[in-house]
Amino acid sequence: MKIQQMSFMLIAVFMFFALVGMIVVTLMLSHIRDSATQLKEQNAKLMASRIAGSPEFTCGEVYGSVKTDCIDLDKVMALKLNIDKYTKFWGVTNIQIRRIYPPIIINNQAREVECTNTNYPRCNLINLVSNSNSGYDRSNYVALCRKEKYNDEVVNKCEMGEIILRYQEAGTK
Amino acid sequence: MKQLNQYKRNKRAQDEMVGFALILIMVAVIFIVIISVWIRKPQEKTVNYEANSFIQSLLQYTTSCEEDYGNLTVQDLLAKCKEGNPCYYNDQMNQQSDPCKILNNTIREIVKASWQTGVNSSIKGYSFNINISEDGTNEEQFINIKEGVVTNNYRGGEQDLPPERGSWEYAVILFNVYS
Repeated sequence: MKIQQMSFMLIAVFMFFALVGMIVVTLMLSHIRDSATQLKEQNAKLMASRIAGSPEFTCGEVYGSVKTDCIDLDKVMALKLNIDKYTKFWGVTNIQIRRIYPPIIINNQAREVECTNTNYPRCNLINLVSNSNSGYDRSNYVALCRKEKYNDEVVNKCEMGEIILRYQEAGTK
Repeated sequence: MKQLNQYKRNKRAQDEMVGFALILIMVAVIFIVIISVWIRKPQEKTVNYEANSFIQSLLQYTTSCEEDYGNLTVQDLLAKCKEGNPCYYNDQMNQQSDPCKILNNTIREIVKASWQTGVNSSIKGYSFNINISEDGTNEEQFINIKEGVVTNNYRGGEQDLPPERGSWEYAVILFNVYS
């Protein structure tokens, strides 16, 4: 009888500890999962920065000293003319460059105007690569710099923008 | 004799119950301590590449403050604001020439356009600060822009600025985004 009581007691204590352990492990796992998602997110954003820093996009020393997160818009417009050779070069399905500030205001509303050779630089959206409508987007902030003629002089002009990359989802083509 | 045995059995059962209760209390206390330590653990600020890129890009923005050598970037304008001299050409053209006002407005507008806060947005608020120390020891808050609400869940970036002769020995930009 006593052995039976003791075994019941032991089982109860064991189950109690197991329950507590399970709760703790669940909490820890959810924390690790959050960290993993965060790391994945950071990695994708870093990829946007890496592409912005590639020779085809970066400002280099054209606008003074070497700057990070700076895209030369004049270079990008030239690249847009020959983009057929580069469609699969960066391993992403879409590359979009959007000016955030200053906005283009038409009829008191902020509008998106896609850049072409005729309206550049009075535009705020460059669709450089557009291969897919599906997938997931990742973006990062960049300075969009260009040369501008002002009072018979060529001056530097940098604005706030973002580079948006689209990746194909895993398992889809 | 029978009563004595009954008493002893009851006493032992009581002892066992007290022992069991003690074990449960001990485990509960340990559990509560672990949970409270877990919850009280200070929230780690996540260094965010997006926030850092934002600061970098913002510093390169060309402002409307015009000098004889061209328009100043936000980084240059910060030094000009600290010096206190007006923007030369803006002054000549009767436009806003106070570098500090231009700097404040420009940063405010860019942050607002780039990080839209709101109830339906994942971003609940942000804070943008530029702290400056003229002598390298005492730090003063030079620019402070806040919008929305402050939460425990936040990510941020910071950028030290190189010493600017006559303006500051040490300057740092701190930008936090609250989700």
